[in-house]
Amino acid sequence: MEDAQALKERIKAMMVENLMLQVTAAEIADDLPLFGPGGLGLDSVDALQLVVALDKTFGLKIPDPATAKVVLQSVNAMAEAVQNKTAGA
Amino acid sequence: MNPRVILVTGSNGGLGQAIARAFLSEAPENFVWLGVRSRRDAAELVAKEFPERAQCIDLDVTQPDSWQRAVEAILARHGRIDVLVNNAGKHEDGLLATMPANAWREVIATNLDSTFHGCQAVMKSMIAQRGGRIINIASLSALLAPAGQTNYAAAKAGVVALTQSLAKEVARMNITVNAVCPGYIETEALAAMGPEERKGAQSRIPMRRFGKPGEVAAAVRFLACAEAGYITGSVLKIDGGIF
Repeated sequence: MEDAQALKERIKAMMVENLMLQVTAAEIADDLPLFGPGGLGLDSVDALQLVVALDKTFGLKIPDPATAKVVLQSVNAMAEAVQNKTAGA
Repeated sequence: MNPRVILVTGSNGGLGQAIARAFLSEAPENFVWLGVRSRRDAAELVAKEFPERAQCIDLDVTQPDSWQRAVEAILARHGRIDVLVNNAGKHEDGLLATMPANAWREVIATNLDSTFHGCQAVMKSMIAQRGGRIINIASLSALLAPAGQTNYAAAKAGVVALTQSLAKEVARMNITVNAVCPGYIETEALAAMGPEERKGAQSRIPMRRFGKPGEVAAAVRFLACAEAGYITGSVLKIDGGIF
């Protein structure tokens, strides 16, 4: 299985590229909230792009809004979902 | 020019075929899928004319599962879909006071629901490929709201609003969404007009003639070309100056 920290770095790089963020991957903390005040400031359109990018890059399918709410909280949450998916595969 | 994969719905009609031909003439690499539900023969003629570059595909635009099957088949073959032209539509005119509810529902389903289902069906692949073009065929009726077309005018006005709202949602993903509003175009829809009715209609058009399907198709092709990359959420009327 991929090293957890390496996976998080890949997720951050994917976010910067796909969402055209104005920050670098290094500036995104693992536990930084993706949405809301004090977070990365993503919106619902970014969320849609993230859902597609996670599927395309990691094969992680997010089937419904309830799952998205859990998975798209932070880089940590996305990494955990990818690892659980890999472990369960 | 990179090869492009294009899906045109309602390809059994004169306008759909003209749009398909416009893309097929644009570049030898283009591949056009001709979406059809009925009267497949007309679309097959185009497919036979361009045997390696055009193919008919069964598509009932009112049914999400039909869209899913069609888009999956296209992605299985090409791995991408670059342009969607939501052209399928129908009208069933009549005064609201006596309009059967079915006439309302069918016109809304075929013109408006279909556009929603089509955009949704291609959206994930266009987001994943970080680009795409959607052109929705609305109608001048959306803007003029003529009497006797409450269903059709409402449906096409809905298409215009959907176009403008979706354009904002997906602009940052390099997906453009535009609408064209044809006026009187020489297609099957006008075939039922008698000579006097035609004359009367033409007298109301500043250019004094009906449009040709190819004149609408050229605008659609333009909205899908690379040079139109900054145009999104626009509503282009093609009507000989009526509005």
